[in-house]
Amino acid sequence: MHNRYRLISKLTEHLIIIWTLFPIYWMVNIAIQSTRLENRVSLIPISLTWKNFQRLFVEEEFASAMMNSFIVTVVALSISLFIGLTCAYILARSRFKYPVKPLLLLWILLVRIIPPITFALPLYIQMNSYNLLQTKIPIIAAHVLLNVPLVIWVMMGFFKTIPRELEESAKVDGATEWQLFTKVMVPVVLPGIAAVAIFGFMMSWNEYLYGVIFVQSPGQFTVPLKLATLNSEQELIEWGKVASGGIVSMIPVTFFMIGMQKFLIQGLTAGSVKE
Amino acid sequence: MKKQIVFHHIMTLPTILILAFLTLFPIIYTVYYSLTDFYYLSLASSTYIGLDNYIKILNDDIFRLSLRNTLKFMFFAVIIETFLGLVMALIIQNKKKRVAKIYRILFLLPTLLPPVTVALIWQMMLSNSRGVINQLLSYIGLGPYNWLQDVQLAMPSIILIDVWQWSPFAFLLIYAAIQTVPKTQYEAAMIDGASWGAKFIYITIPNISQAIFVVILLRTIDTFRLFDKVNILTKGGPANTTTTITQYIYQNGVNNLKVGYGSAVSILMVLMVLLLSSVYIKRAFGENNG
Amino acid sequence: MKKKIIALFLFATLMLGLTACSEAEAEATKLVIAARGGSHVDAMNAVKEKFEQENNVTIEILGLEGADLKQKISLDSKNATASYDLIMADDPWMPELCEAEIFANLDELGVSGDEDFESASLNLGKYPYATGKLYALPFSGNVQLFFYNKEIFSSEGLDVPTSWEEVLSAAKEISETEGHIGYAVRGQQGNPIVSDFLPVYWAFGGSVFNDDWTAAFNNETGIDALNMYIELYNAGANYEKADIVSSVSEGSAGMSLGWPSWYISGENASAEYAPIPSKAYNSSMESSTGMIGNWMMGVTNNSVNKEIAAKFLTYITSSEIQKEMVNFGGVPTRKSVYLDEELIAKNKHFPIQLEALTNSVARPRTPKWSEVETILGAELSAALAGTKSVEDALAAAEVEINALMQ
Repeated sequence: MHNRYRLISKLTEHLIIIWTLFPIYWMVNIAIQSTRLENRVSLIPISLTWKNFQRLFVEEEFASAMMNSFIVTVVALSISLFIGLTCAYILARSRFKYPVKPLLLLWILLVRIIPPITFALPLYIQMNSYNLLQTKIPIIAAHVLLNVPLVIWVMMGFFKTIPRELEESAKVDGATEWQLFTKVMVPVVLPGIAAVAIFGFMMSWNEYLYGVIFVQSPGQFTVPLKLATLNSEQELIEWGKVASGGIVSMIPVTFFMIGMQKFLIQGLTAGSVKE
Repeated sequence: MKKQIVFHHIMTLPTILILAFLTLFPIIYTVYYSLTDFYYLSLASSTYIGLDNYIKILNDDIFRLSLRNTLKFMFFAVIIETFLGLVMALIIQNKKKRVAKIYRILFLLPTLLPPVTVALIWQMMLSNSRGVINQLLSYIGLGPYNWLQDVQLAMPSIILIDVWQWSPFAFLLIYAAIQTVPKTQYEAAMIDGASWGAKFIYITIPNISQAIFVVILLRTIDTFRLFDKVNILTKGGPANTTTTITQYIYQNGVNNLKVGYGSAVSILMVLMVLLLSSVYIKRAFGENNG
Repeated sequence: MKKKIIALFLFATLMLGLTACSEAEAEATKLVIAARGGSHVDAMNAVKEKFEQENNVTIEILGLEGADLKQKISLDSKNATASYDLIMADDPWMPELCEAEIFANLDELGVSGDEDFESASLNLGKYPYATGKLYALPFSGNVQLFFYNKEIFSSEGLDVPTSWEEVLSAAKEISETEGHIGYAVRGQQGNPIVSDFLPVYWAFGGSVFNDDWTAAFNNETGIDALNMYIELYNAGANYEKADIVSSVSEGSAGMSLGWPSWYISGENASAEYAPIPSKAYNSSMESSTGMIGNWMMGVTNNSVNKEIAAKFLTYITSSEIQKEMVNFGGVPTRKSVYLDEELIAKNKHFPIQLEALTNSVARPRTPKWSEVETILGAELSAALAGTKSVEDALAAAEVEINALMQ
């Protein structure tokens, strides 16, 4: 009985790993082979080449796109985390009758629900009227707009699970509100912060819709915009570039995610503080 | 006391300011133009037509179909993704630290890819004659299936891709929540001789229920907005079986710049999502006001 | 911790400030072109230097995906000062864009559409179509061709079909062999299936609209053509673009329609090509067929550099430059380029492509074409999938399109 259970669990585990990784393996497979459309891409890579990656950087100026993506993502993420955490904390734990709170919550939810398509045009008009279109401000602002609701809703959940005793003991020790927030609350919810940081980075890095509506010159291209032009109607899709583009695009996000890993598990020590 | 109130206001001020600056105009713009026949490229100015747009939309068969499609997609995607996310989080629980770290990274990879790439790679894998999926299936004597162009298979294929891409999202949030469960609770249970199942039901679930909640809410909202996969892979077909609401908005409002009509559909869609998530919202508000 | 947060915030603000500064104004004039990304951009970038030097301008080319391009040029057209001086447009967009007065009149800017331009292409740039003033020149001259696999045809002893009746019988014969399909249909809902079906319909002598813009396809011709299309599907399969190209090239599929750039690059063609069969049955009359899909280029009405932009337009569509761009994947729109001996040696398909352009049919010239295409695309897809009968699908499309066109 126990063995059968273990068998099922092992099987499930392997199935999930194969299921998760196979498409990625396939993508790597395409990227490192010289794929001509006539030939089926073989299951196991045979003739290896770096050409697809080379062409990506030479023909598509991928490096500058990555730089742009990087700037936009880092700035947008920093701002989103900062204002999202502060707001989520209050919304989750404040004891005061905060009359606007339901309205604020609804507003934040609304922002998340509305499809970005709807906001794209009016935001364009707005930014255009402020003559900001030549700068990175519109796209950074749009990304903050996309990120903040997620940060708030997720972190609210995390902040709510912190017991009051923790708060009270900190106050007994003479902590100010700000110290309470930064030295007690935030460390406890670090796993949540790591999670939304990963999503925020990834969302911003891969964001396409606002990127395309605000871009005005080729120098402003971000990575998703570059990748989108590879999908053509009257021409064949160059699968090699698509795959290598996907892989290269994924690398910074992966590094960021790996960097966040240690914060994800920090909760283990913080958990003991909860008792 | 007063200091605390000031502090609380300062903490929420940045968010309020940013939201006001970035969303007030678009919301007013959308609501206003939804009541007009505004066509962006029109040389004439738009005219007020009241609720005409809304009536036209609700009478449009394709809109109703897109609504059904979206709900169907949402239902299956959310359930499967949440469930899979939970399973993935539990798999890692029993692993040693280093192994767990690797698993965490691997499990997250699908979500990290750009949506365009995900769509194109799956398109290649699912393609009728050259796709590797059909190739593999042929080894066991099945297929070939026209995944993205068969009336029965197109929607399931989209669901499949979405599950692949977003289960890691559920996984990460649930996993992070599991991390905050105090170890001492588990230790106490072990001393009491609780089985694995009992530990799961009575300790893990209650502690992460908030996170599961958030996952369901967020995925519900997000799956309702499904667009880029459909737009790249099927354009709503075959025979409108994968036309979702956002695809409908895109075709009827954005692509042809009929801003009036498109705004009206957007508002209808928002109202619908609010309705769907009203259960969650009430619960969230209820807890907050406590 | 507090310090870290402040530092991070300051850093973020600093970055914001730095990146927020707009780029310094260039000394020379700058021309910005909004173009379809991919080979068009590559080709233009390869040949722009000479013009830049001679005229002391810098040229920036923004390459975007199709639908995005349309959105951006539409949005920009309403701005007081244009961000784009030259724009590319897919030819079906021309009526809508011209009606919105996005293009500047080229006659007034001294740009002429001379005789050397293939007339089918040039007509697309005039508003009203073929008769009106000139608003855009044809930049890239794509047109559909018929593609087939030589090995299959020779092993089955088939001749290149000249009517759709022959295509069908050939397809049926090919399908009898194990592992072969006769005809590859591109049945994805929307633009693909419409582009795949219309040439068949046109060859049957049909047209999408009557002169008064009422739907003209819900009749015997339309039903015949759609039935033929579905029979071709039954004697073949429904693939998407990449599959079609690979299977016709490899030899697992016999025939399909397609755009030249799918199969042909320079000297190498991965499949044989021929003009699209222009009659329904062997006994029918011939009709023009083959969808023309040109990319047009024009000067924006709100540009501040109209004269220089117009000069560039003349330059980039000149015979000499078009010949050069062929080496970078450009598709010509001038007869002299198609008939150039050196180029024909390296691009053997040019004569056939020119012939196809001459006999091509343009999609109906209405500003509402994209909506028409959406409706047609959905109904055709339903007919192909079998969820509606051919008659029902065409009837439904007629009703919807007539309602739309009013």
